[in-house]
Amino acid sequence: MSPDSAGKAEKLGYTNVKVYHDGVPEWVKRNYLVLSTQFLKEAWIDKDIPHVLVDVRPAKAAEAGFIKGAVTVPAAEIEKSLAKFPAKDKKAPIMVYDQKGEGDAVKAAKALIAAGYAPVDVVSGGFESWKAAGYPVMTGKLAENIVYVPKPRPGEIAIDEFKKIMASTPADTLILDVRNRDEGNAGMIKGALLVPDEEILDRFAEIPKDKKIVTHCSTGVRAEMAYHKLKEKGYNVSFLNAKVEIDKDGNAKIEKP
Amino acid sequence: MLRKGITCLSLALVSALTIGPALAEEKAPAPAAPAAAQPKPTVAKVCANCHQPQPGSMRGNFDSVAYKTQSIQIKIDDATEILRFDENLKIENLHQVAAEIAEQPLRALKKGKEVRIEYTEKDGKKFASALIAKPPIKIAPEKQVRTEDVEKLVAMGPEKGKYLLIDARPLPRFQDGSIATAVNIPFPAFDKMKDKLPADKASLIVYYCAGIT
Repeated sequence: MSPDSAGKAEKLGYTNVKVYHDGVPEWVKRNYLVLSTQFLKEAWIDKDIPHVLVDVRPAKAAEAGFIKGAVTVPAAEIEKSLAKFPAKDKKAPIMVYDQKGEGDAVKAAKALIAAGYAPVDVVSGGFESWKAAGYPVMTGKLAENIVYVPKPRPGEIAIDEFKKIMASTPADTLILDVRNRDEGNAGMIKGALLVPDEEILDRFAEIPKDKKIVTHCSTGVRAEMAYHKLKEKGYNVSFLNAKVEIDKDGNAKIEKP
Repeated sequence: MLRKGITCLSLALVSALTIGPALAEEKAPAPAAPAAAQPKPTVAKVCANCHQPQPGSMRGNFDSVAYKTQSIQIKIDDATEILRFDENLKIENLHQVAAEIAEQPLRALKKGKEVRIEYTEKDGKKFASALIAKPPIKIAPEKQVRTEDVEKLVAMGPEKGKYLLIDARPLPRFQDGSIATAVNIPFPAFDKMKDKLPADKASLIVYYCAGIT
């Protein structure tokens, strides 16, 4: 998009147009981003989009007024608190704020980036900007532990819920195994029906419409594809987004990929 | 070298993106269920800035591949398309396929990568004959700036550095966080927001977006 925009600017007669082609993905490896309090509220907090909001002020100062959902990690303790943060490969968006959006938040953001976290946002104007905008202020003890749960994909069933269904499948529910026949022959969950994903479009008749269908495969990929095929046909369906290994007795080992 | 932008000119105006505080709402929630009567889109909004729908071809974001069932899943906005393929699938513009996945090159595709898929449809089943990944847009080296350059500018600030840094991504991405001192002029809104550009045509303008796509 930026090269296209630059092209249009040149057409308008601008003579000194440059493109930072590496853009945001490269930037966040070495630098923090900035986020206004308005965007923090409207695009993240109000929409309940998973993120990690860190209040880096001293705990006492933070308790007098803080932003909803914030976790306290005072700037001086960031480096020794790194273990608290979600694993880097989760790429959890981390937002840090201090009183005014200057020294401590920037310092904390830099420490996180140096430790390999990305993206890290500094909330512009910090808590004072939040308060000045008239946004709700919380008081009292802040959470100390970071909880970050990425949003499930549409149609995804919680692993615990799947395990419950597996242990005792309700009469109105059917586990649909969409792996191929060889995989099915090696072992299947008790009560599951095997319809390989590539055969679903030809075999709708075998899949009961009046039951809740839960699909699984060995990684979650085919299960999701099957989910979309069934969803489109009007089925009440969900899928298991997890690694599944089933032994010949039907015992399943299920873990998050 | 920046000729790519010109082809998008007229279409950009049609884009649904609007600018201003109203946009903070982002987009309306997706319809609850895909109504059977309504055909699925074949071109994702982000692609529709430059490309029109063509029969036998769809454009969207690569989502996943299952070699076991030879299926590809792609996202076209909120809709999901699943296509079968076989060993005759033509693959173009795929770079950096590691040796250990040479047999399954589609694994090299990153989730979200813009792709065009040529396909045939029979009995409601779509079969992909070719997958063309979006090639990187070429920009002349003298028009490019590096992370270090942008860092220097941002450290100086727009007044001292005499620059305008423009984030060309859509507003929802800008709201995720942006480079300090940037203003958001999403590409589709370019014409509507011309007045945000500096009066002096010789002044430095730096564009960035979500990187090489």
